[in-house]
Amino acid sequence: MEKPVYSVNSDPQVKSPGMNKTNLFFSRLIQQRTLAFMCLPFVIWAFVFKYLPIWGWTMAFQNYKPARSFSEQEWAGLKHFRILFEDSTFYRVLRNTLVMSTIQLILGFVTAITLALLLNELKNIIFKRVVQTVSYLPHFISWVVASSIVLTVLSPDGIINLLLTKLHLLDKPELWMGKGNYFWGILAGTQVWKDVGWNTIIYLAAITSIDPSQYEAAEIDGASRFQRMLNITLPGLKPVIIILLIMNLGNILESGFEPQYLLGNGMNLEYSENLDIFVLKYGLGMGSFSLGTAAGIFKTVVSFIFLFSANHIAKRMGESRLF
Amino acid sequence: MQASKTSRLRNSSPGDRVFDICNVIFMVCLMIVTMYPFVNMIAVSFNDANDAVRGGIYLWPRMWTLNNYKYIFGESDIYHATLISLLRTVTGTAVSVFCTAMLAFTVSRQEFVLRKFVTLFFVITMYFSGGLIPGYLLIRNLGLTDSFWVYIVPGVIGVFNMIIIRSFIEGLPEGILESARIDGAGEFTTFIRVVLPLTIPAMATVSLFVAVGQWNSWFDVFLYNSSNINLSTLQYELMKILQTTNTSATAGAVEAYQSAENAVRVTPTSLRATMTIIASVPILMVYPFLQRYFVQGMTVGGVKG
Amino acid sequence: MFFKVQGMVCWVIKKAVSCYIESAYKTGGNLRNLKGDEVQMYKGKILTAGLALVLAAALGGCGNGSNSSDSASNSPAAKGNSASGSEDTSAVTFKYFSFGAPKKQILGSETTIGKELQTQTGVDWNIEYLVGDGDTKAGVMIASGDYPDIIDSSGQMAKLMDAGAFIPLDDLIEKYGPNIKRVYGPYFDKFRQKDGKIYFFPYGANIGYVSEPNFQTGFYIQRSVLKEFNYPKITTLDEYFDLIKQYKEKHPQVDGKDTIGFATFAGEQGSFFTLQNPAMHLAGYPNDGSTMVDMKTHEAKLVAGSEYQKRWIGKLNEANAEGLVDPESFTMNRDQYLAKLTSGRVLGYFSYSWQVGDATNNLKKAGNDDKRYVALPIVFDKGIKDQYIDPPGFVNNYGVGITVKAKDPVRIIKYFDNLLKEENQILVQWGIKDQSYTVDEKGRFTYANDEQRQIHEDPEKSMKFGFDYFNYSWPRYGNNSVLQDGNAYGPGNQPEVASYGYTDGDKQLLAAYGVKTFSGLFSNPDERPWSPAWSIALEQGSPEQMFITKADDLQRTHLPTMILDTPANFSKNWDDYMNQFNKLDKKTYEDFITKAVQDRVAGKW
Repeated sequence: MEKPVYSVNSDPQVKSPGMNKTNLFFSRLIQQRTLAFMCLPFVIWAFVFKYLPIWGWTMAFQNYKPARSFSEQEWAGLKHFRILFEDSTFYRVLRNTLVMSTIQLILGFVTAITLALLLNELKNIIFKRVVQTVSYLPHFISWVVASSIVLTVLSPDGIINLLLTKLHLLDKPELWMGKGNYFWGILAGTQVWKDVGWNTIIYLAAITSIDPSQYEAAEIDGASRFQRMLNITLPGLKPVIIILLIMNLGNILESGFEPQYLLGNGMNLEYSENLDIFVLKYGLGMGSFSLGTAAGIFKTVVSFIFLFSANHIAKRMGESRLF
Repeated sequence: MQASKTSRLRNSSPGDRVFDICNVIFMVCLMIVTMYPFVNMIAVSFNDANDAVRGGIYLWPRMWTLNNYKYIFGESDIYHATLISLLRTVTGTAVSVFCTAMLAFTVSRQEFVLRKFVTLFFVITMYFSGGLIPGYLLIRNLGLTDSFWVYIVPGVIGVFNMIIIRSFIEGLPEGILESARIDGAGEFTTFIRVVLPLTIPAMATVSLFVAVGQWNSWFDVFLYNSSNINLSTLQYELMKILQTTNTSATAGAVEAYQSAENAVRVTPTSLRATMTIIASVPILMVYPFLQRYFVQGMTVGGVKG
Repeated sequence: MFFKVQGMVCWVIKKAVSCYIESAYKTGGNLRNLKGDEVQMYKGKILTAGLALVLAAALGGCGNGSNSSDSASNSPAAKGNSASGSEDTSAVTFKYFSFGAPKKQILGSETTIGKELQTQTGVDWNIEYLVGDGDTKAGVMIASGDYPDIIDSSGQMAKLMDAGAFIPLDDLIEKYGPNIKRVYGPYFDKFRQKDGKIYFFPYGANIGYVSEPNFQTGFYIQRSVLKEFNYPKITTLDEYFDLIKQYKEKHPQVDGKDTIGFATFAGEQGSFFTLQNPAMHLAGYPNDGSTMVDMKTHEAKLVAGSEYQKRWIGKLNEANAEGLVDPESFTMNRDQYLAKLTSGRVLGYFSYSWQVGDATNNLKKAGNDDKRYVALPIVFDKGIKDQYIDPPGFVNNYGVGITVKAKDPVRIIKYFDNLLKEENQILVQWGIKDQSYTVDEKGRFTYANDEQRQIHEDPEKSMKFGFDYFNYSWPRYGNNSVLQDGNAYGPGNQPEVASYGYTDGDKQLLAAYGVKTFSGLFSNPDERPWSPAWSIALEQGSPEQMFITKADDLQRTHLPTMILDTPANFSKNWDDYMNQFNKLDKKTYEDFITKAVQDRVAGKW
């Protein structure tokens, strides 16, 4: 799957030692002008739609008010960063954010890949399709509805408590949502339930690109189903997995907002409150723009650290990488 | 398909059979758990709204009614909005998938000198944002507010999707692109004739992602086109209906002593269920259509030959 | 500056794209003359050009873009002197945007009321409501300066004022507003801004005072409980829980499920006040937000950490030990709460009436009066005067104003003034005589039949008639006003109308307590000239805001746990909570509110 990466210098065509790098670059660029033209409009697009609006980052250093022109804005220095970092609850919030998104990352990957592998082992095509279609249904349910279902199921007279007390695993119904230390587990379970089917789509697509002749060869060698899964399917998925992993590591501070907001309550606050909720709570009125931007910059910095490190590690290990 | 048939013939060791049975049982359990919310929504949506406040509706409506649907379909605005939703989904998906694939193709070419720069240039955009107001002002300055194009242009490239397609193209057997080039095909022809057909599973996946995103999005309508009813989409109209009822629920206190027959006919809970069904059924129908491209599997080798 | 750069870049892009397309067309035209490699190359170009076309088609929208409100020439001064002559009733449509509770977007003249007002003035309204997040909408509206003609601010007033979105109205009122002066005159000082000018009209300018007949809020109790014990008169919290306890012992189960003694709604984010506020109500204070304000010294004291709170939470803790408190009170969401209240299992609950509208409606419709609830004026001790009913206050932090982009402020202010004529105020509240209300022989307004009542109460008919669109977010009399002829301004406050929908159960209950209306159960509110203190605005990042955010969190995490723990641990838990609470800067907050209250008392709003 891996291809050799040509760097400019190692290109076999390069013979003339007198040619400097810049000239070489341009001569190759001219050679590859069709490719360049094919991506040029999009580079411009990205510049306009993604890069231009970054001037908004100045808001983090101002008491931004939308009505004022740039020169009239009141500069606040690092005030908004101080509100973030000097708050005693910030580190708790940061911990929650990191823990929740890490659990989500790991569990999301493991469950989706497992499900994709198991689906791939189903022999009846119709059944396989039905399972897949059904399993991704909860993705289309809004969090408002999903959280309501979770709260009902976990309520003191909900089905979980009913089962556990009937089985004598519990003496009396447990108030699941009222115990902070259960929150991460409940949230993770909910997220898996809601999105596992959806997340398998990408892996199922990737499985299709695995060369079937590999399976045939393995079968002739007498490999068992399990061995084939581990030795052919899983390695076949590896490039996609690694790329997705790197991309998701960059989102390590994005643990979501709605589920925590809707499932959170005073009793589990110490575990449920994440960065986004923190910003919502402290960013009153106009301040929400500046504080929100400050938090956004912080997130970007952390994202970049994770993104580049992960990519670097992948490169060092000789795996496929993002860039 | 071929592979699985043969394996069924050859492998019937007891261990395999146990595995198959367990697998099927697991899948059935999974289906029950993932089907539930939808069944529940259907039940609630066909249940009398006032009665639904009592809760306890699980798999079957307690007081059957079509009122919730009548209420939503009685809003004349949603028909045009559905059309706009369809239009933006189809156009937006087609444009975005084609453009994204083309970009992905260029950055999948190992020898392309701008490859690393372009990839990085796009990838990092996933991790920052200028924020709401600069984004809004940009769209406004470009004259995209109050126009259909605001649904299409800002989403021309999906970076995540680009990476997906890129890794698929990179996974193609090496000889294919080479042979195309030897045949004298230019880059663009190679892309259209060779790469696109070979990455259909990836394209189907990405199309699904984009289409679902387009179909469900309402924030751009809210931000840019909210006062132009002709550009409103289904999701946004449904939001409107929902929020209008939310209000009457809180104002309900005032109405509490009004005569009983006037008690609200719809509640946020019942409307939300009905909305979920109305909004998700069309997009769910896209899935089985695309599904054959990635569940059944296409053999790369087959296309090659 | 950055706006400019962005604007310039946009311009450059438009130019570049058009060049790009032009060249693409050219190469396309010459294509047949080319061969081999060149064709390949140009094909690539054409493709990119095709893509650019998509971009360009979009950008083409620039020209016919949205700048509908042409700004520069619209200064109010320029328009001010043009229309002082004869009445201008030429047809015109203005834009109205509301940040308030969403309704269907509509043209004012599509409603009966709007049509009538249009006939009088020639002015029609394109009324749009906020759907989605108000902060977001206000932010982009302000940043772009694309204002409609008038805005109903709801919670966005501070931002809009700060942005200078509204024009000062003093001169216009002076010139064109005799009715405005009549209605708002006594209140002008309460909503003048810091520069001494008036920018918008709040909605609470009462003329006279009549209270709401069916007021309900606070400690609700199931009517069957009262019936069982032959309608005892209960006033204290202890009596309340005692009664519930006795009933629960007699009827441990309802429909096969355990009876729930007491529930409340303090789980969902933003509903915590439902657990915080009872303490102040029990102590005989109205809802003043997080504080109780002393009647004499006008000093604001926090409810959090007070002895009142200790007593209230302590009582809940005690009741919980007796199995009376539903632990789900602190975790459930609104749907679950309402479902519980309609199940008949709950004997008592604390809520504000607007939190439980759906449940109240449902129970009434179910037709079993015994399963319905009634709110009673419960206090800590006998002798405390209950203050559940909000005192007549003046909410000055939202209203409707004319924006700087308004095409014709004079026409608008005249429209407002016309709207404030008594006959038009009757129109927007009561409607049209003999069509939507009747005047009886004593001159009292009432509904003669169901048909008339339906026009007000049936959501669809009320919308069609226009009450939904015109009876609130416009310049108006305050809700509790009295008309010149002694009728209530709002139909809901007219006793004849209020008692119209009473069931037999209602009548029986009211008779048992010797009152005519549900409000009769409660004491009348005392005059509190600062009311309501919850409308005092805090500034982002200020010590007061920091304090209250933290104090709320502390309560949210500690109080429920404290209630659900055993009573033996209560004093330890309370001390622990107070220790943490005392670390916060309580004094700054109290001083800030005290100062604001005293300013208000002194007439500085």
